[in-house]
Amino acid sequence: MTCQELRARADAYAHDTLDATEAAAFEAHLATCEDCESALVALAPTPPGIAGLSRSIEPAADLWPAIRERVAARRERSARIAAPRWALAAAALLLVVLSSGVTAVLLTSRETRGVATRDISALEAEYSAVSEDLTGALEQARSRLSPETMATIERNLRIIDAALDETRQALAREPGNAALGEMVVAAWRQKVDLLRRATALGTES
Amino acid sequence: MRLHRFLPALLLVAPLAAQQKIDRRIAIASDASIRIHNLVGSIRIVGWDRDSIAVTGSIPPGAGSFYMGGSGRGAKLGIERQDELKEGQPATLDIRVPRNARLWVKSASASVEASGLTGELECSSVRGSIRIEGSLRLVVAESMEGNLNVAGAMSVVRLKGGGGTITLRGARGDVLATTVGGAIVATDGAVTRAHLETVSGTIAYDGTVSPRGTLDVATHSGDVTLRLPVDISAEFDLGSFDGSILYGLSGKGEGKGKGEDAPKPFRGKPISFTTGAGEARVIVRSFKGEIRILKP
Repeated sequence: MTCQELRARADAYAHDTLDATEAAAFEAHLATCEDCESALVALAPTPPGIAGLSRSIEPAADLWPAIRERVAARRERSARIAAPRWALAAAALLLVVLSSGVTAVLLTSRETRGVATRDISALEAEYSAVSEDLTGALEQARSRLSPETMATIERNLRIIDAALDETRQALAREPGNAALGEMVVAAWRQKVDLLRRATALGTES
Repeated sequence: MRLHRFLPALLLVAPLAAQQKIDRRIAIASDASIRIHNLVGSIRIVGWDRDSIAVTGSIPPGAGSFYMGGSGRGAKLGIERQDELKEGQPATLDIRVPRNARLWVKSASASVEASGLTGELECSSVRGSIRIEGSLRLVVAESMEGNLNVAGAMSVVRLKGGGGTITLRGARGDVLATTVGGAIVATDGAVTRAHLETVSGTIAYDGTVSPRGTLDVATHSGDVTLRLPVDISAEFDLGSFDGSILYGLSGKGEGKGKGEDAPKPFRGKPISFTTGAGEARVIVRSFKGEIRILKP
């Protein structure tokens, strides 16, 4: 397995959707490749360790404390980040890793099936925090993006926000509806992913 | 007086004369990693059976300067601009690379076309379209606004769009395609594992799912149309909060109408059933889009 293949399969590995051969190749590569380990793990303030993530697609109840710790650590570290371009890039990478980690562990629709409404609220709070940080990073990167690019990003964000509002309102009317909970989380995931991609545009190259 | 007579012709010729033509080659390993960078204009990449990179192209005045370097297992080439925020003049790059190379391509509004490759390609653009043909081991492509078009039996495909349409032709293996407002259209598919997701764009899949494979489709408001074999052996799990479901493969349809194509409006609770031995899995989730499962 190459480095590119590993990184493309990170989500699939965390979701336990790789077959046994691929999963073994993933683990073997990660065990010997410092670059990939760095890319996937070392950038996080409290390394979640992709290799150490639960192979179960069901959310583990004891995962929450770890997620909270990581997010808290990220906030502390984000607060220390200054404005220079390298620092912004580091912040963006950090957020990318964190948002990917959160996504990988908990936030796919399949993983949230059966999650109680209180857990959806907790997930929303986490997503909201990551989203807020990424929005801040994007705002700092704005000067390095063309007006056309920003317009494109903002147009897509409006579409996602509208979907998010709609599903959240529906969930408020039917708080026990697990399918709606999945949809709320899916909309958040889309938003964080778009913000992550947009921020990367302003910090890479 | 004489100069005045020729002035229009001179004005026409001057920019052409200033256009920089590129014709460069370097030797490189057959599986080398190559980075390609051209923000505006076009990038055309063709795989060939030689251990070298050959670049031809043209750079108009003000479009930046061409660079190319590397040897052995790595190389990079592209157009360097003084100000990457300005669109500037479009530069054209026509690039031959070893078929099995690993490529990283970046564009802003430049269109990207790649064909004849068997290695790996990672391509990102902001507004440019990306078109990839071949049978690569890995394709990762992102464009915020441009169309993404992938044709061929790739092993692993990861596509992320925004407002543009994602088109997949002959998809096999492992496919992930997500977009926001753009549509996803997949034809002649026979995926092992696929996740197709939009926010408001429509999703259309025409093909089959491998035994033990999974087709997982999700949208907020886009309509979903899956055209699957009548005799597909699969577990179906379909759910739309505020849209209708139409199952037209056999007599599974439920609801107001009668016969095969009876629509079933439902809220919240997914419908699950199995056809044949239930070897594959088909999962569809929508908030308010219509779900149609139809014959080819």
